Amino acid sequence: MEYKISERAKKVTLGTAVLGLIFLIIGFFQQKDFVYAKKVDNHSVELLYNGHANLEAQNQLKETIISKMHGYNLEFHDSMHSDNHHKEPSNHHEESNSHPEENEHHGPTFKWLIHLGHANQENESAILENHESGADHLVEMAKSGEISFFDHHFRRFWSNLLVNGFFFFGIALGALFYLALHYATESGWGVVLLRIFEGIMSAMPIGIIALLIVFIVGTFGGHHIYAWMDSHLVDPNSSHFDPIIYGKKAYLNIPFFWIRIVAYFTTFILFLRWFKNKSKEEDEQGGTKIHFTMYRRAALFLVFFAVFSSTMSWDFIMSIDAHWFSTLFGWYCFSGIWLSGMIMVMMITLYLRKGGYLPFVNESHIHDVGKFMFALSFLWSYLWFSQFMLIWYSNIPEEVIYFTERINNYNILFFGTFIVNFFFPMVFFMSRDTKRSAGFLIVIGMLIFIGHWFDVFNMVMPGTLFDQWELGLLELGMFMLFLGLFVYSVLNSLSKSPLLLKNHPFLEESKHHEY
Amino acid sequence: MAEKVIFAMYDDDDKLMDGAKHLVANDVKVSDVYSPMPLHGIDSIIGIEPTRLAITAFMYGITGVILAMIGIRYMMIIDWPMNIGGKPNFSLKENMLSFVPIFFEFTVLCAAHGMAITYLIRNKTLPGMPPRNPDPRTTDDKFVMEIKTSENTHIKESVLSKLIKDTGFLEIEEKSIV
Repeated sequence: MEYKISERAKKVTLGTAVLGLIFLIIGFFQQKDFVYAKKVDNHSVELLYNGHANLEAQNQLKETIISKMHGYNLEFHDSMHSDNHHKEPSNHHEESNSHPEENEHHGPTFKWLIHLGHANQENESAILENHESGADHLVEMAKSGEISFFDHHFRRFWSNLLVNGFFFFGIALGALFYLALHYATESGWGVVLLRIFEGIMSAMPIGIIALLIVFIVGTFGGHHIYAWMDSHLVDPNSSHFDPIIYGKKAYLNIPFFWIRIVAYFTTFILFLRWFKNKSKEEDEQGGTKIHFTMYRRAALFLVFFAVFSSTMSWDFIMSIDAHWFSTLFGWYCFSGIWLSGMIMVMMITLYLRKGGYLPFVNESHIHDVGKFMFALSFLWSYLWFSQFMLIWYSNIPEEVIYFTERINNYNILFFGTFIVNFFFPMVFFMSRDTKRSAGFLIVIGMLIFIGHWFDVFNMVMPGTLFDQWELGLLELGMFMLFLGLFVYSVLNSLSKSPLLLKNHPFLEESKHHEY
Repeated sequence: MAEKVIFAMYDDDDKLMDGAKHLVANDVKVSDVYSPMPLHGIDSIIGIEPTRLAITAFMYGITGVILAMIGIRYMMIIDWPMNIGGKPNFSLKENMLSFVPIFFEFTVLCAAHGMAITYLIRNKTLPGMPPRNPDPRTTDDKFVMEIKTSENTHIKESVLSKLIKDTGFLEIEEKSIV
């Protein structure tokens, strides 16, 4: 059966991408670098900032605070200089030329003690109330980022690029993995779906390009997602010397990192192209010769994948928190990757089936992919819980810091992700009938798809943005941009070849698949 | 009146399936099939309702969770709070995480045993129960179809026996059950 991407699908996917791009651009200029506020008493707040800000920017911030706190008389005291800190404002010019990491440990850029007095004398009781909440209000504004600097490091942008790059790369990789698994186990049931797996894995370059941009910029110091890339941390003579990262130098160093990155991406791309070409060849030639070469090559791929899926998740994600490690992490990432791949397969299958392009796909095929979604949700939850419970129980400071950060700063997201990704599939996919109903599959599938995006978000953000994370236009836009491009690319590559493998030896078995 | 039961034996599962389809197409009610292995799709052909074993499994699982919670709460929180690795042991809620593996295992235990026992009782195959299969060969390589005349009173006996003959059985046996 031939499929051609319809004009409408083109418009929807590319429209989503363009809309996402617009959101992304708007969101890009809303990135914030937070200031920290501490309430001293009801009349004074201490404001602290560690990043870069010259005098001009500092004065601008003062003005913003004054305009936002109208009704109050604000007095700014530089509490850093009264603390006998020998740090002059003129230092900033020298520092801006040197390495940005270097000044971060020299202490804060400024530390203000803000005294709040009321200017308004009209209503005594209202003023009393206002007066008491004034300090709290200022602290609240600092916490929510209402008063903040523009983030010149674009940390949110880079972190989001990593999140989406990894998530969508993972979907394509999950499809590639399942295709290889299907060939290596000589499964029969899913042959009619294999072209959809091929279509999804061909969208891998989108994720790869995004990840490569993140890695290249990181290597040249454009962002500090991967702190271990900083050469000061492994230099015993530097004041920033980090003995733990130094101990991991044999693995976490830039040349070896790039060797691994190149190895992963070339391996995946080569296997991907090879599988696609061979299946096209099989369409023309027939016979079982190609099938058996694919069978052997798929087994070989699984060997590579077993190693690479683990090391890949260490390199891409776990090395953000370079001090921390978990031996389960590779599996945990892998289960998420596979599951999001399966959800994407389900969505594309349902979409094509509704358009009448897949007459050979019956309820049992849908049911089986649904079973995979159900089972892999449990695999993911099992690994999530194992990792969390063991670290929580043993309570070793260097390990448990990973979860304290997440519980303190990402509480709702962290536990919400688990609840959505575990309870929804468990409750709604337990029954046989829901796994066969397109409505249930789409709604719950979308929910856990977004849930797994947030899972990647939870893996990355606490290590890059700490407590300064936000969910805004930038996140939404980037996700929409990637989703639109990804689905377009999948549908586009699906329309390049017939949707049915003509000469696969198990084709007849798959067509009559029941249960 | 004595009820007559017809047992038709086949040596191939496909023959039995086709035969059952043929009989059902002609409005014959096939009451049961005995087979040494699962025959996929036979239940929908002869019109057996889907099993409710899954529902019982769910109920046994829920029972397991609740029992485990009550048990652990009594043992580890109320009766003898044990300090293991400095973990909180004052309330079930605080210490829930460390009990999850036990909840899980106990759920599986209850669900699995409950299901197995329910299955054995429902099929009347508890150890020591008299065998219900009409021929011991159905546990080896033969397949038997059971047709009760009392369920097929709307068909004349001669027509019924002709229909059964058409299915190409290996052996046929008629038993009278009082």
